[in-house]
Amino acid sequence: MMDKKTRDALLKLFQSKLNEAMSLYLETCTRCGICTEACHVYASMGQVKYISAYRHEIVRRIYKRYFKGRGKIWPSVGEAKELSEMALDELYEAAYSCTGCRRCMMFCPFGIDTQMLMSIAKLLLIGGHAEPEVLTMLADTSIEKGKSLEIFKESFLAGIKRLEAEVVKKWRLEAGKKAIPVDVEGADILYVALAGAHSIIPAAAIFNAAGENWTLSFFEAVNFGAFVGDPTKTRLILDRIINEAKRLKVKEVCICECGTAFRVMKQMSGKQPFEVSALTEVHARYLKEGRIKVDTSKFKGKPITYHDPCQIARNGGVIDEPRYILRHLTDDFQEMSVDPRYNWCCGGGGGLVALGEDNLDFRMKSAKVKVDQVQATGAEILTTACENCHTQLSNLNDHYKMGVDVRFLSSMVVDALVQ
Amino acid sequence: MSPSTKEASVDIVYYIVLVPMAYIACVIFVVGTAVRLVKLFLEPRHPATLQIFPERRPRWLWALGDTFLLPSVRRHKPFFWVVLMLFHLAFLLLIIGHIELIAEIKPLQVIPHEVFLGRGFVGLILSLALLYFLFRRFVSPTKDLSVPEDYYLLILLFLTILFGSQMDWARRWYGYDSITVDSYREYLSSLLALKPYVSSDLTAPGHSFMLVLHIFFANLFLMVFPFSQIMHSFFSLPMNKLRRG
Repeated sequence: MMDKKTRDALLKLFQSKLNEAMSLYLETCTRCGICTEACHVYASMGQVKYISAYRHEIVRRIYKRYFKGRGKIWPSVGEAKELSEMALDELYEAAYSCTGCRRCMMFCPFGIDTQMLMSIAKLLLIGGHAEPEVLTMLADTSIEKGKSLEIFKESFLAGIKRLEAEVVKKWRLEAGKKAIPVDVEGADILYVALAGAHSIIPAAAIFNAAGENWTLSFFEAVNFGAFVGDPTKTRLILDRIINEAKRLKVKEVCICECGTAFRVMKQMSGKQPFEVSALTEVHARYLKEGRIKVDTSKFKGKPITYHDPCQIARNGGVIDEPRYILRHLTDDFQEMSVDPRYNWCCGGGGGLVALGEDNLDFRMKSAKVKVDQVQATGAEILTTACENCHTQLSNLNDHYKMGVDVRFLSSMVVDALVQ
Repeated sequence: MSPSTKEASVDIVYYIVLVPMAYIACVIFVVGTAVRLVKLFLEPRHPATLQIFPERRPRWLWALGDTFLLPSVRRHKPFFWVVLMLFHLAFLLLIIGHIELIAEIKPLQVIPHEVFLGRGFVGLILSLALLYFLFRRFVSPTKDLSVPEDYYLLILLFLTILFGSQMDWARRWYGYDSITVDSYREYLSSLLALKPYVSSDLTAPGHSFMLVLHIFFANLFLMVFPFSQIMHSFFSLPMNKLRRG
């Protein structure tokens, strides 16, 4: 049983999430069921609990019970529900089987945002210490790193130094120029990468090829605060990038191939003296302006398909740019979905990939429709522009023996660069 | 109980439904809806955009299209879309029809028609559509999503419309003429003028039973309106605007 003190604390958290949009989402669902086929988890596994409206109801029933007169006077009419340990289990099941891809918003006649409703579930789970610990740990580590930058700075710079030779291998530089500039005041672009050579080397080589005045951020782009649904931690992780961009007086913050990082930065940073762009947008721009050239025969004979990362395409608006790049890389590009807004989620978003082996089985089962979609294109190369998608698609490739080559779009651009 | 006292007590019940309950229902409907709308739109805005891309401009026009033409339903459930569109169009005609039952409104006679408009088909479409909405909730997976209030609401609306339409059908299709449009006008306009008058036509034994039941269920409907999912009639447009950015 949940004691009153805990419940009150959780309800306070619930209250903190209420605003105009959230109230509209909580109040309006008519449970018409049009969203039934929207969720890839339901489409793959066929269980009612994975229908978007069903997920909403898990949150909505608690809302009715504690925030609506109707739920207090006559709870059974709306099946209003007590907030209990059992309810937390249900919230976990709903929130951590949802990738926040927002495909269901394309089905709902009112456009109810399931990801928003699941953010209530995630916050209640944090309050009840029932969230996936690994996500909180990752968020805390990330915040700690940001706090004690001086301690990490040296090892970070040493690590970067080791990567420089790799960058030069991809693109030769004039003598004396730094392959990975760091902490450059007045740079035009601040590039925010992930911890990992694959996120830095291709991007750096392409910046250098385009003759860009850029600098690498000290911080990781990924926002584990957003995955675990903790608004305070999300803000802390976001703010330090904003502050760095302001300190260096950059004109543009370019986010690496990471969907959540891009969307959080683009949509939550508010009005700032810099623009926010996705790496894909920057690469398309370079091609358009003739600042980089690519060899169109590099991937000849291999049909290529592109997976639109939900947070970058449907939720972030970067849709034409990857296609523009791919038209330069191949004459055999196969679309996955007639309308990118209806592209199936890979099944790895919302922190699900970060849970690793723990939910691998679920991630594989729940993304069967994605596998079918990829296979229907007949592509040999499956490219994408998001870390989570890349990991999940690689896992799917192994599990279902799809036999495709899963690649980051930036890595294809760098491989096709013409010196 | 003698026949006369029986009649008197029935008259009292009729009067309660036709006058005080109707007033109470209207007050709850207007005040309840207004309070809910004001409270909701006074809440702070969400700090980030909630839109879906690619963006289409002008956004408000696309949001209007999404709200009134239900393109997402047409795409995914075409038959449901046809029924929904028929239902909502018929509901609009139903509202116009009731306005004409209060007073004669000249501009509405651009297309000359007899009051109540629709030759009885407005009510028929609404009744059939409601039965469809109700029965589809008996089938999985919509059954698993539904909660009791979804059924209660559809049943309440069905009863309201059935008894209302029944009066229309009786006049239209069976030549019943004891209660005329003028009797309804007299009653409704007197309510509106705050000088309630219930003529003996309306309460005379026989068909009046249908009228009283119609008004009774309509009163209940108005009373639950502000607290139910029917508020989507007001919320749909701002929500679709959120999706369009």
